Amino acid sequence: MTQLFRNSLPHKGGKSAPILPVPLSFDRNWLQDLELKLDKGGPWGDYRLSKLAVQGEQTGLVTSFDELQCMKHLSGLSPLPHQLDTAHKVLFEMSGRAILADEVGLGKTIEAGLVLKEYLVRGLVSKVLILVPASLVLQWVRELNAKFGISAVAQKKAYSWGNAIVVASMDTAKRDPHKEMLLENEYDMLIIDEAHKLKNKKSTNYLFVQQLRKKYCLLLTATPVQNDLGELFNLITLLKPGQLGNQGDFASNFVVDKRQPKNEGQLRDELSKVMIRNRRGEGPVNFTKRKVRNIPLVLSQEERVLYDAVTSFVKDQYQESGGNLSSMLSLVTLQREVCSSRDAVFITLVNLIKKLPADSPKRDRMMELLQTLRTVKTNTKAETTLSLIQEMNEKVIVFTEYRATQEYLLQYFREHGLMCVSYSGGMNRGKKDWMMDLFRGRAQVMIATEAGGEGINLQFCHHMINFDLPWNPMRVEQRIGRVHRLGQENDVVIYNLSTQGTIEEHILHLLHEKINMFEMVIGGLDVILERFEKKESLEKSLYKIMLESRSDEELRHELDHIGESLSELTQGIKKESETAT
Amino acid sequence: MTLNSQEVRKHVMDYLEATECSIIEVSPIHVTVKLSPRADRMLTDRPYYWGFVERTGVDPETLSFTFVFDPEKYDSQAAIEVPPTVNHSIGALNPPITGNPAMGATTDAEASADLLNPTSPESNVVHVPSSNPEDSILARYFGIVPALPRIGPGMIRREDIIYGSKRLQQIWSAAQDEGKCLYLFEDPGSRQRNTLFSAAYEPWLGVCYKVEMSCDLKREELHYLGISLTKGTIIDDFNAKIASREMIPRLPENVHIQPYELTVTAATDLLEAHLTSHLAELDYTWAEQARERLRIELAIIDIYYGELLKEPDEEKRLGTQEQYNRRRQETIWQYEPQIAVSAITYGLFHLRSL
Repeated sequence: MTQLFRNSLPHKGGKSAPILPVPLSFDRNWLQDLELKLDKGGPWGDYRLSKLAVQGEQTGLVTSFDELQCMKHLSGLSPLPHQLDTAHKVLFEMSGRAILADEVGLGKTIEAGLVLKEYLVRGLVSKVLILVPASLVLQWVRELNAKFGISAVAQKKAYSWGNAIVVASMDTAKRDPHKEMLLENEYDMLIIDEAHKLKNKKSTNYLFVQQLRKKYCLLLTATPVQNDLGELFNLITLLKPGQLGNQGDFASNFVVDKRQPKNEGQLRDELSKVMIRNRRGEGPVNFTKRKVRNIPLVLSQEERVLYDAVTSFVKDQYQESGGNLSSMLSLVTLQREVCSSRDAVFITLVNLIKKLPADSPKRDRMMELLQTLRTVKTNTKAETTLSLIQEMNEKVIVFTEYRATQEYLLQYFREHGLMCVSYSGGMNRGKKDWMMDLFRGRAQVMIATEAGGEGINLQFCHHMINFDLPWNPMRVEQRIGRVHRLGQENDVVIYNLSTQGTIEEHILHLLHEKINMFEMVIGGLDVILERFEKKESLEKSLYKIMLESRSDEELRHELDHIGESLSELTQGIKKESETAT
Repeated sequence: MTLNSQEVRKHVMDYLEATECSIIEVSPIHVTVKLSPRADRMLTDRPYYWGFVERTGVDPETLSFTFVFDPEKYDSQAAIEVPPTVNHSIGALNPPITGNPAMGATTDAEASADLLNPTSPESNVVHVPSSNPEDSILARYFGIVPALPRIGPGMIRREDIIYGSKRLQQIWSAAQDEGKCLYLFEDPGSRQRNTLFSAAYEPWLGVCYKVEMSCDLKREELHYLGISLTKGTIIDDFNAKIASREMIPRLPENVHIQPYELTVTAATDLLEAHLTSHLAELDYTWAEQARERLRIELAIIDIYYGELLKEPDEEKRLGTQEQYNRRRQETIWQYEPQIAVSAITYGLFHLRSL
């Protein structure tokens, strides 16, 4: 077509463009495109598609600075009110830099997902790095994709870093050659899960995160203060250096003693600018209840004989060794195993015998024990468990501490027509998943030796049996946490099997009556323990008591003592954390 | 703004029609369509296939989809209308794994329920998730795999499209790709052909501007502006003004275009000046507030690092200095208010007098 170039019109009302209070930039790439096509005479676009594109833009337009947009784009996700509130606060009050410190199980991941989605929808974020413990990488990828429609990718190879939204393990990211690549990048958003691992400002994790270039940043942790206010200072300084002043100011303004804050009101104000902590006790989050049934059972005659024989053997050995605890560990195990199954005892015993020199006097004693072991033909606990399971006729997970017991139960249950699968820490990832699938599908019973780690989320099951108890309350809590979590729709029933007149009965008493841990939905158990264990680990204290006490009464007394100091700590921590929020 | 299923349907149908896809079956809640080669290239993400077609010159085989706009209603209707036939055809066409997942799950669940405890009806419910594609072996490695295609009758993939679906986003961006640069004429109607005098058409430059005002937050506006290349007149809401007119891509008979008085570039200058003066009238409290936030943040950083920079050790101080600079840059990046303007669509429109 012909274009007639004449003198163009004088610019009408040729006032110079007013100056805006904000830098303004016009993208003129389109003009080049248009002129190029005018030169070539096309190709031209389709008018209908053009209209559609404009309509599309119109519907997605962010018309307000301060209104949550992301929910329109999310179907099938209905966040809880506290999660929406949190997202709102992070976006509009904290400008996208915050510590999300909800207690375990309140859905920090959901909150982070909401914030991320909002920024993506608003077009403020496109390049994202998410650093989490290795075991959580896939879970994050899954949640972001499935719940939020965010195309996050797990970092597998070096080229994975090139993706817009990458989830990687902190341990990989901080190492060369990855570290180098990441430090060269700029991230619109950085999310770090389990951020309490950043509490030490000398650690490589800390230094690495400090160096990353980031615009918005979320740190997720359930335990922002573990035992030192200094850790909290470090975490916040990583997020927003100077927010709490420098270390000296902070110490003189807010700290009396490592754990005791002063000027609490002021500290709380300062913290609320960068940290959000929702608690289980508050708000409308409905966790289902935990129901505890303790099943007392009486050992058969033969089992009783074996128990007593092992107990006296263990105690004698302890006396002989002159109270050296560390060499006693296998004997302690023996003592605990005898409450579980004779198979477990057998294996440990045989291993002990193998290690002894051929002429050791202990050898005879142990052989004797083996003989006693042979007389035991039944397992009262297993029988009780079997009838329990048959009675409830629902899916149930059985936890035991010992592989031998696990094998035995597997065998025993199968003989009695139960469909069951096993699950243990030694299995590789694929096998674990396979076992999970089977449990979800066909099997009625899962027998597990391991409760920690990622991946066993068993919300579809609400019965659990503690065939035997770990002496470390955290592990008990982890066990319960497998089934009692957000998404569990039924009350969780916890069955504790305890054989009367054994050490197990005492331990159960301690955990249940004193720490009240089976019903505790408040969280904070880790903090309590960490404080308690300043002196010595709880497990070890228990061992000592068990080995040293001469009578049942003494045992009970000592355990009560521990129970009391634990409940004192609980009270103390409750008070502290109330001031911290 | 969000779209209900009918509006979503309208958008999708508009796209399918504009790209000349062949509609196989259509109802208010779904459409089954065989994509045109053009739409297939844009939507199915098969560059290798299309590369193969181009090099070998074979006839392309495009994909078909059943897009469902109201999944709930669609499922309940399907359940009422054709349960036996659906069952049959799936069984015949596909191995059970790729079959309708809901189907596979129920039969499987029933079987296993029988195995376990025939009396318990609950195990049905418990079992369903195991056919979830997220639990597949690939998902275990990558965390997520694209959901297995849900194949309906005739091996046609089913896909639910609701507001927020990636497919809808994709359709819009495909529409923009193919529709952004325009050169159009108003359709004069059949009468013009027989009139004696040629009609004079006025050339307009129309641009749909997207204005992004951002600091640590963001707001957007769309401005569809038009400017006459003969008179220099500027019209806001240009698309509304021309909405009622029929546009065609070729110069109609017995029509001539008035000569341009303005170059496209000069017209662009005017449009930008016009938009700028509009923007100047807006409320800039948001920017002031953002600047205030920025000022406070920077002050905190300055004080904090000021203290640290008194460090006598040269090496440590340099490290801190670098950290300080980085943190300052980050903060400015986060809060600094700015406005960016880009164009969604643009082109020349030749119109009978407006």
